[in-house]
Amino acid sequence: MAGGTNKKSFINVQNRYGWFFVSIAIVLLGVFLLYPIFHSLYLSTTSSKGIVQKFVGITNYTRLFKDQMFLIALKNTFIFFIIQVPIMLLLGLVLASILNNKSVKFRGVFRTAIFLPAVTSLVAYTVLFKMMFGLDGFINTMLLNLHIIREPIPWLLDPFWAKVTVIIALTWRWTGYNMVFYLSGMQNIPDDLYEAAEIDGANKIQQFFYITIPMLKPIIVFTSIMSTIGTLQLFDEPMNLSQGGVTGSTTGPGNSLLTLSVYIYNLCFKFMPNFGYAATVSYVIVFIVAMLAIVQFKLAGDKK
Amino acid sequence: MKLKKLLVRTLLYGFLITAFIVSVFPFYWMLTGMTNSAVDVIKGKMTFGDQLFNNFKVLFTNHNLGRILMNSFKVSILTVLGALLVSSMAAYGFEMYSSKARDRAYNILLLSMMIPFAALMIPLFRMIVKLKLLDKHAGLILTSIASVFLIFFFRQSFKSFPKEIIQAARVDGASEIRIFLSIVIPSMKATYAAAAIYSFMISWNAYLWPLIVLQSEKQKTITLLISSLSSAYFPEYGVIMAAIVVATLPIILVFFTLQNYFVQGMTGSVKQ
Amino acid sequence: MKKLLALVLVVMLVFSMAACSKKTEEPATSESGASEQPAEKSGKITIWAWDPNFNIAIMNEAKARYQKDNPKVEIEIVDIAKGDLEQKLHTNLASGVTEGLPDIVLIEDYNAQKYLQSYPGSFADLTNKVKHSDFLNYKVGLMTVAGKVYGVPFDTGASGFYYRSDYLEQAGYKAEDLNNITWDKFIEIGKAVKEKTGKKMLGFGLDDGGLMRVMLQSTGKWYFDEQGNINLANNDALKAAVKAYKDIVDAGIIKPTSGWNEWVAAFNGGDTAAVVTGVWITGSIKAEASQSGLWKVAPTPRLDLAGAVNASNLGGSSWYVLEKSKNKEVAIDFLNKIYAGDNDFYQKILIDRGAVGSYIPAQNGASYSNEDTFFGGQKVYSDFSTWMKQIPSINYGLYTYEADTAIFSVMPDVYSGALTIDAAMKKAEEQLKNQIGQ
Repeated sequence: MAGGTNKKSFINVQNRYGWFFVSIAIVLLGVFLLYPIFHSLYLSTTSSKGIVQKFVGITNYTRLFKDQMFLIALKNTFIFFIIQVPIMLLLGLVLASILNNKSVKFRGVFRTAIFLPAVTSLVAYTVLFKMMFGLDGFINTMLLNLHIIREPIPWLLDPFWAKVTVIIALTWRWTGYNMVFYLSGMQNIPDDLYEAAEIDGANKIQQFFYITIPMLKPIIVFTSIMSTIGTLQLFDEPMNLSQGGVTGSTTGPGNSLLTLSVYIYNLCFKFMPNFGYAATVSYVIVFIVAMLAIVQFKLAGDKK
Repeated sequence: MKLKKLLVRTLLYGFLITAFIVSVFPFYWMLTGMTNSAVDVIKGKMTFGDQLFNNFKVLFTNHNLGRILMNSFKVSILTVLGALLVSSMAAYGFEMYSSKARDRAYNILLLSMMIPFAALMIPLFRMIVKLKLLDKHAGLILTSIASVFLIFFFRQSFKSFPKEIIQAARVDGASEIRIFLSIVIPSMKATYAAAAIYSFMISWNAYLWPLIVLQSEKQKTITLLISSLSSAYFPEYGVIMAAIVVATLPIILVFFTLQNYFVQGMTGSVKQ
Repeated sequence: MKKLLALVLVVMLVFSMAACSKKTEEPATSESGASEQPAEKSGKITIWAWDPNFNIAIMNEAKARYQKDNPKVEIEIVDIAKGDLEQKLHTNLASGVTEGLPDIVLIEDYNAQKYLQSYPGSFADLTNKVKHSDFLNYKVGLMTVAGKVYGVPFDTGASGFYYRSDYLEQAGYKAEDLNNITWDKFIEIGKAVKEKTGKKMLGFGLDDGGLMRVMLQSTGKWYFDEQGNINLANNDALKAAVKAYKDIVDAGIIKPTSGWNEWVAAFNGGDTAAVVTGVWITGSIKAEASQSGLWKVAPTPRLDLAGAVNASNLGGSSWYVLEKSKNKEVAIDFLNKIYAGDNDFYQKILIDRGAVGSYIPAQNGASYSNEDTFFGGQKVYSDFSTWMKQIPSINYGLYTYEADTAIFSVMPDVYSGALTIDAAMKKAEEQLKNQIGQ
């Protein structure tokens, strides 16, 4: 750059373009996202029975610590998060790098097939999973016939196995979804990096750890944060795999599938509607996810 | 050496084929389900039956499937087009013209993504009513074209975009908007394709928000139909499966068309 | 980071102020919204309901009948899944806007008081506008708040003991042995069935409170007392019901199921011998045509307590008119003419849809005395209408689902024996108190 004034005006122009590019999104998000957020923050200081509403200050927040249901939901949500997210992301990454290899045949078919679970309707897949994981369902029959187990596993009838079933279901549904992000990210890695590594004698596994993973870092951060958010807001699977039909008093046997989002739903729509308290529980999720996200960014050394 | 290679191949394909079967099986079951009666579906019949025609007849005579699909297509296509443009522009603005103020705005947006939708529904609903968007498809489209999710994804992808190319274009005298439209977009096809697939999928499968915004039968989308079909005292599973298959095909089609971009890699013009 | 926090706080402040000031403006906007509508009757009513094969189909029949005499009235029936409908209704009512609401809405009986008391003034008072004495007493009680009646009763969830006569005969029981039995007897029969046929007696959801509600209502007691206070720890009826649950599980006569489909599949597939639930299950049972002639229905078993009867209820729902409805009078007239006046309508929906209304005059109609070959020629609906008149009327109160959840959170410990029933109910009561802040 030439003179100081020139540089300054360049930065000014740049700044204006910056605002121009983000303007539409900012306006829309301000109206449709930020306003509701602040309104619900206000709601979290009220307690309500429907429209019979009163201001309670921070009482909702102190109530949380005495609320057994909330604590169960928090614990369950964390178990899902800690176990399921790493399994799924690793599997997605491995599948993506296999399917990015041009020497693998029928890549298009495999890609589509593995992505298919993500687009399968929730209704269909939960109905099917419940059948397959029934006491005398497909999975137990198969395992019994293969002599892997002696007694049928009470998949959805036992607190421990119910969690296992949900983790299997989640992994089944979302691995292909994450794989596609990795695949698209891999297209932005120039081929010559691999060619150079090949010449240097690096094998495929070394290439995976020394080229693919570092180059994909931004996308890996993206998927892990999205999965964190998704898991902490986990709703569909616990809701649909546990109950259904007219009744279903707890979410999963002994509330083993009660997650924070299901609890929020119950507070709004199943129980006496208390939107204020529901909003409070939501902000707990925000707080936790925000902390986790900061950790993930830091771990990845992503610039802020 | 050759033996080892063969072993690796076998393992590799074994793994892929297992993943294939596990992934496709439910879909196969959906296909058989739509040819069976409700009772057979519940009892877990996994072979094709003879109720296909019947199930579709029920679906078409009891519901205005044509209009419902049109509604879904209209909302999804407009959302995808809007979302790709608006969200990628915003991501580009955040990533390429970094400024403290915008970085803060971006952080707030990221934070906002973490709030469960249920908590926002009531204030957002009031907003929609005030803007006279109740029972209008615009109420669905406008609220989803600026997606934090997509902005985040685009920004992460732009991080690996070689900045030198932009500098070079500036030196050549190209305007900022032109650089974005004719250099950045064309060379990030895989990213745009992935974003399009997701945007389409999310919009097509959107359920909670359409449920709240749309009021009349004539505005209904396909997910709402499936949901109401499956909440019966006696769910007609054969019919539901038929509806689900109809609802799933468009996404598969979109994926099939766009996935070609995943194999192309960075195009020649961008390669350093 | 500090700066960011400050910024967030400032923005928050601005927005919450904006939110507050908006609130005061609201009446003005809703007024202007209303003035857009012409003053004269447009004659259109909108109805929300769920279940295309049941409520929706029935509403369509009602619509056709009403329009025959009132061709100018336009009726739009919107089909929404039950959970979805509740979500939509809550969102609309809670946000205080009326534009999106229908004129008539279907509400499940367990939830009626919750809606009526959470959203006071939102539903139209139908006292003296509908002849409620024509409806079953217990249904009317559910929609009454402070002496005012707010709805038009619709279908009943009168319960029955559906059983496979072939299995039970094999086990040595005839129809007359099953009249007015207790749950203890039921368990005894279940053991015999298991021994003689190898079949289980019931498909049973271990975390499903439906059957417990059937048991409780037959005693005339609920999770709450008359004043609406929590009544779990010292509730003998409830403890008897919990004991019955445990006994049923311990007797090994159940096939554990999870969720609706597995439960239906258990009897459709011939794996279980009995179903004790609301009359609305009839359609699902009859769906398995190959079992025609094998089923029968007996009165619901009762708990061995003074005052318990062999009749109960599970589910059922009713119609409500919204107070802010633009065509309230038309909506009320519609419900009055059809649901509270058209005897023939009830005969038709019984035949076509298996819907048992709670409109008493209809129960003398011809269809109710039909012999059903699926049930071996038994006059099933005539039996149900006898039983439904005995269903004890109780006030479900506001918190049925909260109580349900609290109880079933401790049930695993009851099944395993880790907690005595007394201790478990005490724990559940604590949890429930916490939940609803009593």
